[in-house]
Amino acid sequence: MTTPDRRTFLKGAAGAAAVMAFQPDLSASPRALGAPVRVGLIGAGRQGRVILGELGKIENVTIAAVCDSDDRRLTGAKRRAPGAGFYADHKQMLESEPDLDAVIVATPTHQHRALCEDTLSAGKHVYCEAPLAHTLEDAKAIARAARAAKGKFQTGMAGRANPVYTLARSFVRTGAIRDTLSMRSQFKKKTSWRTPSSDPARDKFLNWRLDPEISLGMVGELGTHHFDVLHWFTGQYPTSVRGSGEVLAWKDGREVADTVHCEFQFPGGVRSTWEGCLGTSFEGEYSLIAGTMGTVKLAGTHAWMFKEADSTTFEWEVYATRQQFHQDEGIILIADATQLAAQGKLKEGIGLPHPQLYYALENFLLAVTEEGNLCCSAEEGLRATAVAIRAAEAVRTGREVAIPEQDFSLE
Amino acid sequence: MLVRLALQAMGTRFELVLQGEDEGPRAESYLRAAGEEALAEVEQLDARLSLFRRDSLLSHIQRNAANQPVAVDPDTFGLFELCERVHLASHGSFDPTVAPLMRAFGLHDDLAQTAETSVEEARTHIGWKLGVGLLRNPNRVVFHSRGIALDMGGVAKGHALDLAAQVLREAGVQRALLHGGTSTVVAIGHPLNREGWPIALGPGRDAPRVVLCDDCLSVSAPSSRSVQHEGRRVGHVLDPRTGEPASAALVAATLSSSAAEADAWSTALLVSANHSVLPAHMESLLGTAEESGGAAPAHWFHRPRVCAPESTGFSHVPPSRQAAPLQTQ
Repeated sequence: MTTPDRRTFLKGAAGAAAVMAFQPDLSASPRALGAPVRVGLIGAGRQGRVILGELGKIENVTIAAVCDSDDRRLTGAKRRAPGAGFYADHKQMLESEPDLDAVIVATPTHQHRALCEDTLSAGKHVYCEAPLAHTLEDAKAIARAARAAKGKFQTGMAGRANPVYTLARSFVRTGAIRDTLSMRSQFKKKTSWRTPSSDPARDKFLNWRLDPEISLGMVGELGTHHFDVLHWFTGQYPTSVRGSGEVLAWKDGREVADTVHCEFQFPGGVRSTWEGCLGTSFEGEYSLIAGTMGTVKLAGTHAWMFKEADSTTFEWEVYATRQQFHQDEGIILIADATQLAAQGKLKEGIGLPHPQLYYALENFLLAVTEEGNLCCSAEEGLRATAVAIRAAEAVRTGREVAIPEQDFSLE
Repeated sequence: MLVRLALQAMGTRFELVLQGEDEGPRAESYLRAAGEEALAEVEQLDARLSLFRRDSLLSHIQRNAANQPVAVDPDTFGLFELCERVHLASHGSFDPTVAPLMRAFGLHDDLAQTAETSVEEARTHIGWKLGVGLLRNPNRVVFHSRGIALDMGGVAKGHALDLAAQVLREAGVQRALLHGGTSTVVAIGHPLNREGWPIALGPGRDAPRVVLCDDCLSVSAPSSRSVQHEGRRVGHVLDPRTGEPASAALVAATLSSSAAEADAWSTALLVSANHSVLPAHMESLLGTAEESGGAAPAHWFHRPRVCAPESTGFSHVPPSRQAAPLQTQ
């Protein structure tokens, strides 16, 4: 894979600091919305709770309604969103809250289609968590509904709104690591991946991620976000995937693998691996893009560039903050670098002040108020979801699975 | 059925013990899952309130609040409101703006510093009342001068435990003990066949013990962490009013229904030793230097809780009924 505008970059390498200075999207500071937005949330589970916390930081946002079929979760949401209307059914919410501008869908993946279709046809803007769906049919239906709708639709691939990822991508896209050779992502966390349910009757419903009938497993629920970031960085999609999955860490009767390995084949011979494990936390979650002149590491609120000894020197490198990883030294990529440098606070700006979910929600709401652009369309969401669905199939069957072009097509 | 979980966060170790009445794999899965959700909450709080993480919301506030109001989530804003309440009620004995002085004394040595400030200069930056503004609708925090910095270390653990306990209660957990660094403890319900969770306030056989049931306990002692500064030992709790290390008490313990509130008041009492200003719903124990001749506290002042059932308040547990206690610092 050769990145497109390498020559332009090399010519302007001395202006790399200017790249930081004039990229308007690189600000990590919160922006107030120019107009008030009334938001509804469908799904007040683990992710919904985090969403409520992040929405609370955005000026001009009113959390007007929260919907969840689980009483206990709705009770928990009442504390986090005082003053909102609370509903057990999304149709009732849409009928009773005609003034909602935007709705965030954070339910189990297999419920996304019906919720997105109903909410879009009610004329609302929709932010839907990723992956979009557990079947290709549903993911395409959502993308079609989004295309036909009046309202805007953003897929919850939060990496695309992440300011340090945006900065890292600008370097990769302008040739800073030259030719991409390999990519690697992982999610490792010691967790049972279960949702607590004191009521056995609710257990199967709440633990949908461990239900092989409806769950894409780790590669779908967790890997999708990494796949999307790699697609966004490289502009390429894999053509096939091999996979394997075992239950090694949590032998509690589950069938959905807790230890997963996948290998994706990209055009031109580049491969990307994905590893997931719920039995160890070592090195957590990150993606690597390795090129002939350097490697970029992306880890949520942080990003680094590791340069090869023979790569071009950026002028600003002398001012850069570095971090040692055993034998490798990473240049820490900092959003807001120019502004912080002007205040003499560059070293304090390392890492984002908010989780990337915050930036994704802010990005969506700025698009709703016509102050910004959506960062991940339904079509982009469909592509990453399709890759995840094929990967889940490979993990389940242990076979190599093709990822045909028509998976991405709405025709 | 007992399930234990642990997490390294806020520069210390958080531990949970959850108890269920049922045995078997389903009961264990449920308790573990609930505990994991609670620890995820602590992880999030660490990301927001840690002074030692440059990517925390607190660091972000530190960088920007003197330039413009910074929007914060309702939970964090509620914590700032609590700080303001305790600051005012304790007549300034509790004051998170003591951070620059902590730094000047070398108590924040693990923190990246951009400017050296002398102890004298740092003292001029202390003062929540004049220095910090809380703006409502929407919730924002603003600093009224450039030198202001917040150390939420006095309340962050309690706040994290409060929210973690909330997650456990929402998940239906009825019996659990949570602690952060052994100095802040939250008890949900009581263990099966016991009136509460027995806790020893300090090391040694003679340490006072309390039994907790739906209660939060915080213990502060300046001796738990100290540094050498210009030839003298400086404990990690400073008196914001004088700018000197706190010396009024050797140890302060408080009980409240909120761990963050207990945390804030245990710090305030360590500084002032004045529990007449303690809110009526709280209880405290104080060990003073005078009473013990400078050694371990010999006498504990006890202010009984108003309108609280006997079994949930401070009480001494006969040795015969003591289980292996969780020792506080």
